Amino acid sequence: MPSMTLLGQSLVSGVLLGSLYGLVALGLSLSWGLLRLVNLAHFALAFLGAYLVYHLGTVWHLSPWWAALLIAPLFFAFGVLQHAVFLYFRVTELTSLLATFGISVIIESALQWIWTADFRRFETHYASTSLKLGPIYVPVVELAACIAAAALAWATWAWLRWTYVGKALRAAAEDPEIAVAFGINRRGLSFLLSGVCAAYAGVAGAFIALISTLAPSQIWTWLGVVFAVVIIGRLGNPLGALAAGVLIGAAESVAMATFSPAWAPVVSFSVLIALLLWQPDWL
Amino acid sequence: MTGRRAISGIGAVGGVGLLALLPLAGLPAFYDSFLYLIFYWISLATSWAILSGFAGYFSFGHAAFFGAGMYTTATLSVKFGVPFLVTLPVAAAVAAALAVGIGAVVFRLRRLRGELFALLTLAVSFVVATIILNTGIDGGAGVLTSSVAVPHLMPSPSGTIYLLGLLMCAGTLAITYAIAHSRLGIGLFAIHDDEDVAEVKGIPTFHYKLTAFALSAAIAGAVGGVHAIYVGFLTVSETFGISVPLYVVLMSVLGGARHWLGPAVGAAIIAASLYAFTSGDQAMIGRGIVAFILVVAILILPEGIVPSWQRWWARLRTREATTPTASEAPGIAAIPRNEKASGKVASLHPQTRAILEIRDVHKSFGGLQALRGVTLDVREGEILGLVGPNGSGKTTLINVITGHFPLTSGSLLLDGTAIGDLSAHSIAGRGIARTYQIPRPFAHLTVLDNVALAAAFGAAGLGRAASLAEARRWLDFTGLRAKENVLPADLNLHERKFLELARALSASPRLLLLDEVLSGLNPAEIDRAIGLIREIRAQGTTIVFVEHLMRAVVELSDRIAVLNEGVLFALGEPGAVMRDPRVVSIYLGKAHAA
Amino acid sequence: MLLEARNLRIAYGDATAVWDASLEVGEGEIVSVIGPNGAGKTTLISAIAGLLRWNSGTLHLNGNDLARVAAHRVCAHGIALVPEGRRLFTRMSVEENLEIGCYLPAARAARDATLERVYGLFPILRQRREQMAGLLSGGQQQMVAIGRALMARPRLMLFDEPSLGLAPAIVDDMFDIVRRVREEGVAVLLVEQNVLKAMEIADRAYVLEQGRIVSSGVPSDLLRQSHIREAYLGV
Repeated sequence: MPSMTLLGQSLVSGVLLGSLYGLVALGLSLSWGLLRLVNLAHFALAFLGAYLVYHLGTVWHLSPWWAALLIAPLFFAFGVLQHAVFLYFRVTELTSLLATFGISVIIESALQWIWTADFRRFETHYASTSLKLGPIYVPVVELAACIAAAALAWATWAWLRWTYVGKALRAAAEDPEIAVAFGINRRGLSFLLSGVCAAYAGVAGAFIALISTLAPSQIWTWLGVVFAVVIIGRLGNPLGALAAGVLIGAAESVAMATFSPAWAPVVSFSVLIALLLWQPDWL
Repeated sequence: MTGRRAISGIGAVGGVGLLALLPLAGLPAFYDSFLYLIFYWISLATSWAILSGFAGYFSFGHAAFFGAGMYTTATLSVKFGVPFLVTLPVAAAVAAALAVGIGAVVFRLRRLRGELFALLTLAVSFVVATIILNTGIDGGAGVLTSSVAVPHLMPSPSGTIYLLGLLMCAGTLAITYAIAHSRLGIGLFAIHDDEDVAEVKGIPTFHYKLTAFALSAAIAGAVGGVHAIYVGFLTVSETFGISVPLYVVLMSVLGGARHWLGPAVGAAIIAASLYAFTSGDQAMIGRGIVAFILVVAILILPEGIVPSWQRWWARLRTREATTPTASEAPGIAAIPRNEKASGKVASLHPQTRAILEIRDVHKSFGGLQALRGVTLDVREGEILGLVGPNGSGKTTLINVITGHFPLTSGSLLLDGTAIGDLSAHSIAGRGIARTYQIPRPFAHLTVLDNVALAAAFGAAGLGRAASLAEARRWLDFTGLRAKENVLPADLNLHERKFLELARALSASPRLLLLDEVLSGLNPAEIDRAIGLIREIRAQGTTIVFVEHLMRAVVELSDRIAVLNEGVLFALGEPGAVMRDPRVVSIYLGKAHAA
Repeated sequence: MLLEARNLRIAYGDATAVWDASLEVGEGEIVSVIGPNGAGKTTLISAIAGLLRWNSGTLHLNGNDLARVAAHRVCAHGIALVPEGRRLFTRMSVEENLEIGCYLPAARAARDATLERVYGLFPILRQRREQMAGLLSGGQQQMVAIGRALMARPRLMLFDEPSLGLAPAIVDDMFDIVRRVREEGVAVLLVEQNVLKAMEIADRAYVLEQGRIVSSGVPSDLLRQSHIREAYLGV
């Protein structure tokens, strides 16, 4: 049985990591919940963003914050373009799963071609700084990610909750025909949403670059966890995604400390399987 | 036709024989390896398609079965010294057991289809991988199999592996071909198009899916077993990586997942392109190109190469054939009115026994009570009209009788036997058939196959030849014979409604339930349909039909049952019932009742 | 004439639901279309609301040809729909549902004033404004659906079977509300299975059977004919 300090540290690390899960899950949850399309390419896009931030930072010495600001609109455009293609080919939920699977591999290959399969680490001067709260270390970058995740999740929630566009999106997701009957331009809004989700992927990627070591194959290791987070947090619910991410991150971390690191993936996948079997009606 | 098939069969065996002798030709080992890999991918992709292609349950977890087989062989032969060939059936069995375990739980859950099934299988695959990684089976160190003794079937070990790969491939294709042409195959294809309708037409969907899943896994397991020796060193990340799930999906989708040869074509193309690039960097570019092909294939050729080619070929040949007679509206001549009289008298005789007894049937959906205690006898040989305002429970009653929904309480007796808790396909087997208001034919089966399927799985349970003959008989009856090789999408509404009818009739039902068969038809078509319904009853089938077209109901029915708010409100002769003030008031409001 | 439909033919693929329908609604009129189940009433009104395309015939609102108008632009022309079965956004609150009604800019500008009028018409909705729409009773949901349509400040309101699934007592209230809607200056076109109620409230009515208008005129005249009886009861 590990010590209290170790447990405490795991918990904190887990919460921080979990908030990063939530940040990645945000875009996926929105597009799946509101657009009814499963976008596996979200992960690949996030890693593309990560590599771009890394590249801009190491080669052009651009601060990651500026880099993120630069790539967000680019990714927005990519999201709009991808959605246009999907609409043109009348893609369904299952076909979107397959097609985005393919897009992910294309991006992964591109990443490997440009940056090779070697692990890459984005070295910044604050990468190694930590705050110390009692016996527990809180890495600054991870804390920043946590704050960003919370801020973005809350902002998204507020957008969906309070603005007309947000309400229109929610209405169109539930009953597209009637939403259209009241003047909501569902098609146009779906482009907007795709762009936003892709931009979110880019932002998540910036934090991935700051926190994790990068390798193209890492795209797939995140897949299962984030899907579990999206489903547990309820599709289309930004705060839910954050909460679920934190929950899973903490559970994984504690499991790792208590048993062994290798068992961590089992936690999220088992929860995912359990949920799918138990069949909540929010799916 | 049999002559052609015999020639193809001999050709296939001959081809396999020639290929088997290849290692003896003294070519460099590279070719053994290259061809082995192509056989390997053909086997994996084809095995995946048995469930996922034929039945449409896309699995992203094929690696779980393949990996289970690989590690079974590795563990048994390395740690326990079991002879290599003996481990192969064990590997297949382990993989099949895993599939049965998953399927037994998952296939019972109606909502786990489509992308959720894909996700679930992916998750299971990862869990299996992690378990193998963390226990003694692999433990992270990998398993070395290069020292395992390979039987001396060929001059070199690589030759033997090649031969085994070839035999696996040929065997897989043979099995898949057999399945595609069997009852199991047709059932799977029907499940793919419309699982609920397949169940109602008599196909035991749960068993078929489970069987397909187990077969698919068993083959993958055996292939894995052979592959364990080929690679020489197993690691969890290689075995359970994203390659296998990705490629089998891609190969099948590219070549045509519904056709037995489709995955093989796709696999041959993709594998050959992949392994033409051998260096590390090129392999990765190769993957990118492969993925690009996947995306394009899914978007543009959703059916796949083989079916698209087949359709193009068929179109070419029909252009050469004589043009069919100008499309006259199908159907038989209208039957003169006085035939009504004789038919009716027989069934109004009070001693006519009840074929279906509905006793105090309740059906609730959550808080909504759709049926609140319906008690009704359906007399043998009668035409019973079932009417009532919107929401009165008519369609729910039909769905409950056919077993689409279980009863909340009450009982249903068919010929005295309780059917209330039977599965839909069992009820179909006892002689109840139905049509759907909006026709739901199996979109990828021809008109003939749609109807023949019902004959094969319905009460009569006919064999292939007999069901085709029976199907043709009912196509003649409904006037669709000329279109027997057409796909349902190419029929107009009237024809699709008659297809529904033919499909229901070919199951030789004792009781036929018609759900708004007349909606959407023009007056001439309605007259023809009414004539047809009379003919059907004249042949001895009892008919219950739900209809809104009141004139037709009054004209056709021996008795009318009026449902209102989930209970039987009135029952009796059409004229009497529809003039009953209470019935008038529920339709027109109380002021009209007088 | 506010709304003019001429020889509309509406089909789903090759299933024709409405063969030939012509009708008119004048400013401030209440017009009913009655007919048995399956006659094509919902199809007809869905097409007028812009949810469906029609295959042939013409539809004019205020002289504007609606043939080429995209589905999401129909509302801006002054038509609002109270759909069959309410079709509220169940996961959104009552007030949010109402706000969707005034999504369009013109209506949105008058949001507060219109909302007050709607709450005035349906006081109980003011009490339940924050509640999830899915939790309300059938009658209350119908009020929200009507309120949502009112928020769009339409010139013509379409009601698709407003009495469906409601208890008789509530049905009376519902039709009172339809009268009050007309008093606000909005014309009403309603399709209804319930003959009595539909005829009581209408200035003029049409009888739809098997996709065709078989009769039209003043309710008292129509009730004397045999069309309705034959269409509904087959005798």
